[in-house]
Amino acid sequence: MDCEAFRDDMLDVLYGEGGEAAARRLEAHQTTCADCRREMAQLRELRGDLAHWRLPEGLVAAPARGHERRRRWGLAAAAGVVLALGASLALSGAEVRYDASGFSVRLGGGGSETRALLDAQERRHREEIDALRAQISAARPIDHDALMRAVSDMVRESETRHAAAVQASLRDLRQRADAQRQYDLARVSAGLAYLDGKAGLQAARTTELMGHLLQASQQK
Amino acid sequence: MPPSDEELVAAFQAGDIAAFDALVGRWDRKIRGVIFRLVGNHEEARDVSQETFLKAYRALGTFKKEARFSSWLYQIAVNATRDRLRRRRRRTDLSLEDVDESAESALRDASPSALDLMESGDLSRLVAAAMAALPDEQREVVILKEYQGLTFPEIADALDVPLSTVKTRLYRGLGQLRVRLERQGVRGAAAVAVPSA
Repeated sequence: MDCEAFRDDMLDVLYGEGGEAAARRLEAHQTTCADCRREMAQLRELRGDLAHWRLPEGLVAAPARGHERRRRWGLAAAAGVVLALGASLALSGAEVRYDASGFSVRLGGGGSETRALLDAQERRHREEIDALRAQISAARPIDHDALMRAVSDMVRESETRHAAAVQASLRDLRQRADAQRQYDLARVSAGLAYLDGKAGLQAARTTELMGHLLQASQQK
Repeated sequence: MPPSDEELVAAFQAGDIAAFDALVGRWDRKIRGVIFRLVGNHEEARDVSQETFLKAYRALGTFKKEARFSSWLYQIAVNATRDRLRRRRRRTDLSLEDVDESAESALRDASPSALDLMESGDLSRLVAAAMAALPDEQREVVILKEYQGLTFPEIADALDVPLSTVKTRLYRGLGQLRVRLERQGVRGAAAVAVPSA
């Protein structure tokens, strides 16, 4: 008998999902199939072993309740860090928190402790802003004329550097063009000399040949 | 009678943001548990669990009513876990198999024998090592079934695969676990033909 056909039933029965029909089919098959009987027993034992895998202590702490939850982080700070939606959530009184006791999002009003936290944070921020303002006002005023002079000098220096670079490039280009022209002229000259030499040799040979012909004709 | 997940989702979608807190309170332990079993690391389990709930929070507004909230949440968790494992493997350039082999090797080389570990209650470590050595797709199904108690259709929804695939992966996963535990001398894992992966 094809044991593969009973695999689904075996899993269904193993996990209690197959209903009576699957259980009956499997039971009928197993009365004649020792392999499937043994495999089912082994799967049951395996499930018993797998049940020993425990989660580590403290992975998930018991959920906080009631007023403990309200102690969670300040609304705007947590929302800003975790969701990057700080402003809008803070305006709506959001509480977003993820700690050992889990994750939570709470909106709408919040408790008095949360409001106290927000007020304290607000006060801190205002103090920091005031301190920064004081630092800025205490700093030496900016000399705008000196700044303009410095900027003008920088612009002038930059233009001078640029002009020098252009001049150097032109000089280099001219030198390279001259060198190329001289090289080309030398090649043309060498070519002409070669042609001249070849033509001269040919003329000499022709003259020699004509001489031989004249001599031959005179001897006759 | 406490509201159902679907009722809480409807409340959230109607503007009662606090309903999400109730959903988190209900599902946090389970989600963190399944993620821990998949990644095998406490810190990463917390990170991925956090990612899961943040993604859920952002997407819950568009959650379709005909879907099952738990399957949807498990799907987010499994996908977040897969992303994390992919990043981890790219970072370390080690396959999970390598890590698992070293974990198994460490277990083999440890001074107490497998029998000692079992007797001292460390069967948990042996099972964890055997589970970590499974291919991801088999480990996901085994964990969702064995430790989360999801039904086959729920697992199929969560993993977005056909029911038959769920059962095939589970059967193969259980077969491999049986062989690995048998190698460690665990009693329930008697020698039988191993289904091919």
